[in-house]
Order: sequence, then structure tokens, then C-alpha cells
Amino acid sequence: MATDSAKPMLDVQNVNVIYGNYQVLWDVSMQAHAGQVMAVLGPNGSGKSTILKAIMGLTPVRSGKVFLNGEDITNRPAHEMVARGMSMVLERRRLFTGMTVYENVMLGAYHHSVQKYAKDRLEWVESLFPIIAERRDQIAGKMSGGEQQMVAIARALMSKPQLLLMDEPYLGLTPRIVQQIADIIRKVNAEGIAVIFNEQNVKLSFGISSHGYLLESGRVMLSGTGDEMMNSDVIRRVYLGE
Amino acid sequence: MFKPYTLQSRLCIAGALVLMLALPLITSDPYIMHVMVLVMIFGIFASAWNLVTGFAGLKTFGHHAFFGLGAYGSALLSMNLAISPWITLWLGGLIAAGAGFFIGTPILRIRSMAHVAIVTLGFAEIVRICIANFSSVTRGEMGLWGIPQFEGFTLPFAGPITFSPADKVSFYYLSLVLLLLMLGVIVCLMRSKTGLAMLAMRDGEDAAESLGVNLTRMKLMVFGLSAFIVGIAGAFYAHYLSILTPASVVGLDLMISIIAMVLVGGLGTFTGPLVGALVLTVLIEAMRDLESYRMLGYGLLIVLIVMYLPKGLVTLRERCFPRPQE
Amino acid sequence: MNLAIFLEQILNGLITGSMYALIGSGIALVYGTMKVLNLAHGELYMLGGYFTFFLTVQFGLPPYISIPLAVAIAFALGMLIEKLTIEYLIVRENWAFTTIAATLGLSIVLQNAALLIFGERFNTVPYYVQGVMAIGDIRLPWQRVLIFVVALAVIGLFTWLLKYTRLGWSIRATAQDRDAAQVVGIPVRRVYMICFGLAAALGALAAAMLAPINAISPWAGIPVLLKGFVVVVLGGLGSFPGAIAAGLLLGVVEAIGVQLTSSEWRDVISFTLMIAVIWWRPWGLFGKK
Repeated sequence: MATDSAKPMLDVQNVNVIYGNYQVLWDVSMQAHAGQVMAVLGPNGSGKSTILKAIMGLTPVRSGKVFLNGEDITNRPAHEMVARGMSMVLERRRLFTGMTVYENVMLGAYHHSVQKYAKDRLEWVESLFPIIAERRDQIAGKMSGGEQQMVAIARALMSKPQLLLMDEPYLGLTPRIVQQIADIIRKVNAEGIAVIFNEQNVKLSFGISSHGYLLESGRVMLSGTGDEMMNSDVIRRVYLGE
Repeated sequence: MFKPYTLQSRLCIAGALVLMLALPLITSDPYIMHVMVLVMIFGIFASAWNLVTGFAGLKTFGHHAFFGLGAYGSALLSMNLAISPWITLWLGGLIAAGAGFFIGTPILRIRSMAHVAIVTLGFAEIVRICIANFSSVTRGEMGLWGIPQFEGFTLPFAGPITFSPADKVSFYYLSLVLLLLMLGVIVCLMRSKTGLAMLAMRDGEDAAESLGVNLTRMKLMVFGLSAFIVGIAGAFYAHYLSILTPASVVGLDLMISIIAMVLVGGLGTFTGPLVGALVLTVLIEAMRDLESYRMLGYGLLIVLIVMYLPKGLVTLRERCFPRPQE
Repeated sequence: MNLAIFLEQILNGLITGSMYALIGSGIALVYGTMKVLNLAHGELYMLGGYFTFFLTVQFGLPPYISIPLAVAIAFALGMLIEKLTIEYLIVRENWAFTTIAATLGLSIVLQNAALLIFGERFNTVPYYVQGVMAIGDIRLPWQRVLIFVVALAVIGLFTWLLKYTRLGWSIRATAQDRDAAQVVGIPVRRVYMICFGLAAALGALAAAMLAPINAISPWAGIPVLLKGFVVVVLGGLGSFPGAIAAGLLLGVVEAIGVQLTSSEWRDVISFTLMIAVIWWRPWGLFGKK
């Protein structure tokens, strides 16, 4: 453990993000280690989506650095990230709604660095999500929210990332589906893939994550293991209402 | 923009006004007068296009249709029905306004900027082809000539005023009066509750809707008003030059020139279109020898301004000498 | 009017329509993928015509070499234009207006540059194939038949490209969701550049095929652009299959309309149709809202 924590897989250092005249993130730093599930908590507008987008390269970072496996990836274009072993499930699924399930999933292996493994990966994600094979030729936009989320996760797994970012994976889903998605996150993690996801609901988050960061108004308020966070005064008072 | 006038801006306006009023006393050279009349006609056109595109946020590319309708409408009425140009000037504006309401109605149903651009361009093309094709009335591509001039009159204390090609000074003052009148209308509109709502609407429609303003009706009204003003400019142009061809008043080149003027001056500013009209018209006249490069220059200007100076010349001053924040 | 002449007119309409389809589908491809309305599309057509003219008439190359070459040059030129202008504008806040304004400026630049360089002369290219095809009383020059066949082949090629190739998938994915496309590893900016190039190539091909019938001049682009706009509005702005269907339909409607009135009203017919469609079905004739 000691050597691992000395070399985090993802190292975010003092990141600032500004939209127009509005600063969304203030000196945000966080670390994630290989094989971990990490939660980024916070209310609406806390910047918990922005930090994931900034890591992925979808939002420009004004100052600060992002390192992945020791390499500086700050402000590198998003489409290069797949080759570096990171992929992302966007908020509200964002499938290519006019294309078939098969096309959506195969696009996950679009990048030339992973293209040649596409067939093997497809078998792998089909074993994780049988629905992919069953609904192969269905138009993705016509599926239910939960089914779409599975396709979106499958698409992101096609590049067999070391690190999977998930932006609000539970948003707009029924409690039953939320449980299914949580199971899937565990399954994905069991394959050795580190997961970072963000969520408002603290209890839901620490059901599956070992580590967490709490953001408020674009600043890191608190970080630690799941137990540490659940027992902290701030979380107990504000988020659990105890 | 549209803040209460500061002393500085009052002085600027007064200075510009005095200069414009006094210019014919300094020089009544017919060529300079002619260039200034063109500047003012284009200034009116540019301000009216800026009203819909810069202020109301309706990006149209077919306002030359209204210029042509005003010009041909007024010219044909005065030639065929022997109505005085003093009256047909306004009728030309009304014809353009009617067309503006007609084409404005479908436009306002669409939110897509691309559709608006396409429809307005297509409409202007329809107008141009119709004018060219109804040659029994319009003489087609040959164009109209011998369009009646404004009748002279006697002004108390100043003596008789005549309008003839030889005497450009009276045209100069008439166009100045029209320019001030139209600018007055635009300023009043923009300082009213409607105008404020319009700016709110441009910057985000929800804000205006919460002000309780009927967006569609207001946009239509502004579109019609803009068409009216452009129609007046066109009508004046017709009686001033007394020669018209479809290509000169409904050609895309005219619209391009106006767009270049507004973008160079500053889209969505009050003085921008006027500065643009002045700078470009004078520049073009100064470089008469390079006439064949004129449209090439306009095109390059549009591309360069959009890429490197998207807010136009009038914002250069603020960029170089930023005002202290209040 | 007898049946043979009527059928001949319908066939001619379809042939003209196949060219409208090529022109419109280029505009639709760029709008569908980038949401950019390219007002310089007509000038890319015009330049494609000049390239064909110079390669075929000046350099004496056979059409089966000169046409692909002209199309390839147009493809490169389209990509260059995108790289130099649109790429900077599309990331800005008011990109919708600035891209329209910039392509308008560009269209004027290209048109007047062509005027200065190539002069005012109207240039034509000899027919690529001679002779007249006769089926019963219907007579069509082989040149027109060739136009139609080439158009169908290219439309088929593009449909295949979009549906089955890696490039096609990346274009469709980018069109549907730019961010999602980036996240799966699609270099969106390169896709934009290629789309612009492909649109230019489609326009240039139409110009090359029409060069023996319609003279090439610096002003050839404007009417083509406006006709292309009619096509994309009828087909639903940004829809590639919509543009193909609308192009063919417009060709036939114009052919019938011209029979009923006269040829100088051709453009008025199509623009009026366009405004009517925008009024009633702004999302196009074929698609759903």
C-alpha cells in the first residue's frame, strides 16, 4: 500500500477552471490509485462534473496540472485519452442515439490504439452485459434509461481502460436500476479497472467506493476513506442530517 | 450601451452633429457632397440591419430585398401615377415594411439561425428575379431611368430649395434629416421598455419572457420597422440617383457591403454601423483606381474582422483605453 | 403535350435533380456534422468547374483523369479552408453567426479572386460522351445519362461510406454528439476538416459533370448555392438522405413547373416552394419533427 500511495495513477494538482467570468474550480487537488473506486461528492454546482471533464480534457484547465501514470495530460485533447488508458461515461449517457447498439459499442474501440482488440473486447463486454448481444441491432435512442446506461458503460469499456470516469451514473434512474448500475461498477472494478464517479447521495456513494472527495463551491472540503468520510462532522451534519 | 448619456458622450454627439451640419459651409464640392450622401444612405441601411441583427439577435442576410422594394416601389409609383416623390418615399417604406411582415412571420417561428439565413437570402433572390422578370413594368435588367427628383420648395429665411443633380447640398441636408429621423426612431425604441426587453432577449430569451413581453410580436414589429427604414433608404436612393437596376439595388453585393460596414464598425453597437458606413464608403472612394478589387476587399474584410476583431472598430477605443469599472 | 415529351421532361428533371442532390448533400454533410452553414459552398462548386475546365481543355487530359483530379484538388482546398477559418471560429461562443458571416465573406473573396484570375469569360468543356440515347420516342443525350449514372454511383458510394466505413462511423458519431465522439477517441476536428473537404468534392463533382452543359464563370456559384439551400430545406437541414431525396424531387417539380410557366420562373418556383416548406414543415418534408 505504501508504495502505491507514493505513486498515484491519477494525480490532479491545484486545478483551476474558469467559464467566462465565473470560476468553477479553485485549486482542486486529488489522487486516485490503481484498482480503486473513488467517489466525488458534492451538491449541484459544486464542480464535481467539471473536475471529471477537466481530467478527460473536455474542459480547458486554466492553471494546475493533471498527471496520468506520471505523464502530464493537462489540456490534452479528449480523443487522445483512450490511448492512455482512460475512458469516460458522460452525464445522461450521451449515446449516439441514431445508431445501433452494436455501432455504439464498437465506436468505443474506435481509436487506432485499441482497434485491433475490438473483437475480443466485444466478447468481454457482452459477457458483462448480455443485453449488448441481445439488442445488437436496436437503435440506441429507443432503449430505456437503464439499458442506455449499460450500453454507455459497455462503450467506455471497449478500450479496456485502466481508469473509468463516470459522470453522474445514477442520474435520472429508478432505485432498482441504480442498484443494477452499482453492481456493474463493482463488476467493472473486479476486472481490475479503477473507477471515479460523482454523485450527490453520500450513502449511495460509499456503498461501493473506498475513497472519496467532497467538493463545495468548487473547492475540496474533505477527503478520505469511506469510513472516515461517513464519520466526519460535516458529512454527518449536512449530508446525513444526523 | 444605452446607459444614461455621460457629459463626454453628449459632447461627442453634439460635435458630430455640428460638424455634419456645417460641412457644406466648409466645402460644397459636389463630389464630396455625393460621397457624404451615399455614406448617410448606407448609414441608414446599416443601422437598420444592425437593429435586427445586432440588437434583436435575428441574423438576417436578405435586407437588400427591402432596399430594392423601397427603391422600385417609390420610383414606379412616382413615374406611373405621377405622385410626388415626397409621398412615394414613405409609400416605398410601407411596401418594404409589408414585405418585412410577410417574410418575418415564418422566420420568427424558427429558432435555427441557418434557416433564417437561408429564407432571407432566398426571399431577396425572389424579389430580384421578380423585378428582373416583370419587364413590362420594371424594364427588367435594363433598369429604370428618369426617375422624378424631389420637387423644390421655399424655406422661410433660407429662400428656395431645389433638388437637382447639379446641386448636391440640398440632397445632403435631406439625407441628413432622414438619417437623424431614423436614428431617432432606433434610439427611442432601444431606450424604451421594448428595447431593453429586446436586448435581454438577445442575451437569453428566458430573461425577456420573465419580463412579460410578447417575444414573437415584438420581434415581428422590430423586423417590420427595420424593413421600413431600409425601404425609405432605398426610395431616397432611387430619387437621388434617378437610375435603378435590379443588380444595383437588390444584388447580393449591396448586402455584402452593408454587412462589411456593420461588422467593421461593430455589430450590436449604436455608432458601429455609422462608423463602418463612413469608413468603408470613403475608403472605397479614395481607392477608385482599385475598383475591381472592391468586392474582394469587402470579402477579405468580413473574414478578417470576424476572425480577429469580432467586436468591430468602435470597441477598439475601449480596448486601448479601458474605462474604469463602476 | 404528348406523353413522350412529358416523360422526357420528367427524366430531364430527374437528371438535373441528381445534380441538385450532389450539391445539397454537401451542404447537408457540413451542417449535419458541424452545424455550420457554408455560404461558400457555391464557390467551391465554381472552382471545381474551373479545375475541370483547365485540366480538360488547357492540359488536354481525358475526362476520366481530369475529373477525379479536379475533385481531389477541391477536396484539398475544402480542407484547407476549414483549417484556416472554421476551425478557429467554431470553438467560439457566437460561432453560429460568425461561421455564416465568415463563409459569406469567403464566398465573395473566392468569387472575385476567380474574376481577377480567370476573367469574365464563360467557359465550357466538350461533351464527355457523344450521341443520343433513344428509347421509343424518348431521346436523351448520352451526356445527360452519364450525369445521372455518375450521380447515382457517387450517392451509393457515400451511403456505403457513411454506413460501413470507419470514417463514416466517425462522421455520424460526431454529427450526433460531439463530446461523446471525442470521449471514445474520435479526433473531432479532423472529422470536421474531412467533412468540409468531402462537401467541396461533392460540389466539384457536380460542377465537373455539368461543365459541358452549364458554362463555368466566376458567378456560377451563387445560383448553385441558393439551389442547394432549397434542397437542404426541403430535405431537412443536415440530413444526408433527405438532401438526396429532396434534390431529385426538386428537379422533377421544377421540370413540371417550367412546363406550366416558362424557364425564367424556374428559380422563383423553387424559392417559393422553400419558403412554403419553412412555413409548414421547418424540419423538412421527409423527417419527423
